[in-house]
Amino acid sequence: MLRKSLTSLPRFGQMCGLPRRLQSTQPEQSAETEPEDIALVEQRILKHPDYFQVHNLFTVRDLFNARVHYGHKEGSLDDRMRPYLFGSRLGHLIFDLDKTASHLRDALNFTAHIAFRDGIILFFNRNAMNSHLVEQKAQEAGEFSHTRFWRGGIFTNANVQFDAVTRLPDLCIFLNTQNNVMSQHTAVRDAAKMAIPTIGIVDSNCNPNLITYPVPGNDDSPAAVELYCNLFKEAILRGKRERRQILGLPPLDETQPRRSRKQKQ
Amino acid sequence: MAQSRLEKIGTIFTRVQGLLRGGAMKTEDKPIWYDVYAAFPPKLEPRFDRPAPEIPVRNIFYAEDVVRAKLHKQNKPQETISLFDHRRSTQSQQFVQIYQDLKAQGALDEQRIYETALDLLAEQRQQSRLEASTEDSLPEQDAESKTQLLSDFKEAVESQQTKSPSSPAPPKVKKDAGVGINIDSLFKD
Repeated sequence: MLRKSLTSLPRFGQMCGLPRRLQSTQPEQSAETEPEDIALVEQRILKHPDYFQVHNLFTVRDLFNARVHYGHKEGSLDDRMRPYLFGSRLGHLIFDLDKTASHLRDALNFTAHIAFRDGIILFFNRNAMNSHLVEQKAQEAGEFSHTRFWRGGIFTNANVQFDAVTRLPDLCIFLNTQNNVMSQHTAVRDAAKMAIPTIGIVDSNCNPNLITYPVPGNDDSPAAVELYCNLFKEAILRGKRERRQILGLPPLDETQPRRSRKQKQ
Repeated sequence: MAQSRLEKIGTIFTRVQGLLRGGAMKTEDKPIWYDVYAAFPPKLEPRFDRPAPEIPVRNIFYAEDVVRAKLHKQNKPQETISLFDHRRSTQSQQFVQIYQDLKAQGALDEQRIYETALDLLAEQRQQSRLEASTEDSLPEQDAESKTQLLSDFKEAVESQQTKSPSSPAPPKVKKDAGVGINIDSLFKD
């Protein structure tokens, strides 16, 4: 009996030791062991409601200053946008910025998670005035942009069009979802067909139904588009930085806007 | 890859879920957004056939709109407003401010408040104009700097002219002028 209890003692000690190791803070753990398995980290951070702290990227006041609350005139209202409106000031529709902010935070959080999982992100914009800005910001974030005429089949017939097996983007961000004032961007439909999630800034004359994470707001003003671009860029960079840190890779060189998909391993 | 391209049925999530459940898509082929979507689903399901809610659009009006409308009806706005200038208030804003201050003091009826507010606004504008004119003593320096710039340009031009004889620039100019004349004559024909 005595022997038995003695032999069980170290085991008991191990059992006591185990919870202590679990409770230890993260930096210690990473110092002890090699980098954690990235798949496990990906699952773990999903339990955190806002792991990348995207809520502190902007305030409602920032949205207001960037003129996000201006919609189009009442006549062009798409009925599906009604729940996001605050009201109509002498015929001009005004967005409820509290709703916009919560939708935008969801979208930014999703973006950061996709960037953390090393997804490809594609920016869209069909407004000639803002297209250079969008291309530039996408490049700064190390991602891609498409701001020109959309040839049908880029997603749906990619393997034939590009003559090779093509990896499609993992997330599409639409800075405006319209081709022109009359028709929706074909890529919105194509992304839904190819099961690619979409984030879209939807103005009061747009259809938010097929957009996975719609963000109601003004999609025409350069100030507003610049704000969206900066926010999405920052969310992407946060996701990427975190990934490189956990993988133990050298930090991202943000002065060189190039996307390198080769990992030095 | 197994795929359902019917975007009008269900959502991207339900379609991929069905494929995973049925075994048409293997777990290792699962798209990377799938878990993120499951953890943070959007507020409304992104269905193609989601019906539009019947919410009336309310009108946005403020209590001071009555007097503001009266002001703009009876007085033509003559000021120029810079939309980038957030510090300076417009005449209409100043008027509403004065009106509300007067109304808070009470004692007068609405028409009298309106009239006195107009008078006070005119007084305020005159005062600010006077202040602006006293502040105009500063631009002399600007004028000096301007003349400096002008004189700089003049000097540069003079120095170029003095240099020009040695350089082969003038003949070229003449040639260009000749070509221009030719083109003109072409158009005349």
